[in-house]
Amino acid sequence: MNFVATFHTHLAAMLTCSTLQKAGVTAKLAPVPRRLSSSCGTCVFYGGDEPHLEAMDRDVEAVYRREGEGYACLYRGED
Amino acid sequence: MEKESFFKRYGLLIITGVVVGAAAVLLTKFGNPANMGFCIACFLRDIAGALNFQRAGFDAEVGTGIVQYIRPEIIGLVLGATLLAVIRKEFRPKGGSSPMVRFIIAVFVMIGALVFLGCPLRMVIRIGGGDLNAVVGLVGFVIGILIGIVFLKRGFSLRRAYHQSMAEGLAFPVLMVALLVLAIVGPSFIISSVSGPGSQHAPLLLALIVAAVVGVLAQRSRLCMVGGIRDAVLFKDFRLISAFIAIIVTVMVGNLLVGNGLSFSFVDQPIAHNEALWNLLGMVLVGWGSVLLGGCPLRQLILAGEGNTDSAVTVTGFVVGAAVAHNFGLASSATGIGTGPVALAVIGGFVVLAVISVANMAKMEG
Repeated sequence: MNFVATFHTHLAAMLTCSTLQKAGVTAKLAPVPRRLSSSCGTCVFYGGDEPHLEAMDRDVEAVYRREGEGYACLYRGED
Repeated sequence: MEKESFFKRYGLLIITGVVVGAAAVLLTKFGNPANMGFCIACFLRDIAGALNFQRAGFDAEVGTGIVQYIRPEIIGLVLGATLLAVIRKEFRPKGGSSPMVRFIIAVFVMIGALVFLGCPLRMVIRIGGGDLNAVVGLVGFVIGILIGIVFLKRGFSLRRAYHQSMAEGLAFPVLMVALLVLAIVGPSFIISSVSGPGSQHAPLLLALIVAAVVGVLAQRSRLCMVGGIRDAVLFKDFRLISAFIAIIVTVMVGNLLVGNGLSFSFVDQPIAHNEALWNLLGMVLVGWGSVLLGGCPLRQLILAGEGNTDSAVTVTGFVVGAAVAHNFGLASSATGIGTGPVALAVIGGFVVLAVISVANMAKMEG
């Protein structure tokens, strides 16, 4: 899966995962990678060729594209 | 998902678990009560006592209770986390995610912990010491976590936190520094027990440094007793639970190596009782409440050290909960549950958590 979205709440991650899956995108809930955050929230890993920003819940924190071992930030929500 | 080597995936957490276990054994060897190298609930309760918020077992002749002492471990854990968070630019003041609701949950989590006699970390350390009552506690803890997960899956949320000022984020770590000054100076209004568990402690500097190392590792690894079981159930992710297991194994081996003792039984375990129903129900309250809070008491200390003021409010709730537990006779002792309305408090706690769980559920589509 090429993308990962982090959220301010577990609920926002769940809702986004569900929206992505309904749109036919492969998506999975997981703990946020330590590299992205020191918090212990829930993130969504998802596939496809585009980041589907329109599917994000309003409590999205950031969206990243996976690049090798790292992540490139594509979008950052309100802090 | 990412293909990672075993060491990359589990290494830091297993190392953290081993260090926490070894630290617990070491602190017990150097004076902390048995099977209580670390106990966030007990230590916050002792701090509440040092500040005279409670004086359980007060002896008029000596003028102190039995659980009153500024535990440097709490200070070290928080400041260790603060130090690493600042160095790694992860100190981010934030808060505003239902702080009052978190405070109330925290009060009941502490009451549950003191009915059982320990936070989840001490539960794990007690299991490592052979205390089978803690296995009963673990069953309750898992049940509580599963109840919390049901509500998480149905849309429970305390809503998001927002960025806050540096002054707000630093308030709690600064409070810890103030507490450290009081512990070092030892003014007469700060109380230190001369008998009971509060009088048993490792030297201040040793406890502070060992806890700071654990604080650093816990910040880096996101160690969490609740998170371990929650992630295993929710995501089939076993990283956090690997630390949980590493602590148990290390404490067992460590106790044997240094001669702290290791005997598998329900009776005569140190600072523990064998009323199974209350060991179980106390930890159900802790597990359920901790899932709603998003982490165990240790994790709340670490998050507060990183500038999370919701966690700082939660820790304040733990301190108040400890005072309530002792002032109303809800806290257990080695002889059994307290003399106060324990059933009312624990069942009342379930009702409060149920109301909070339902009242904070978002409407989920389909």
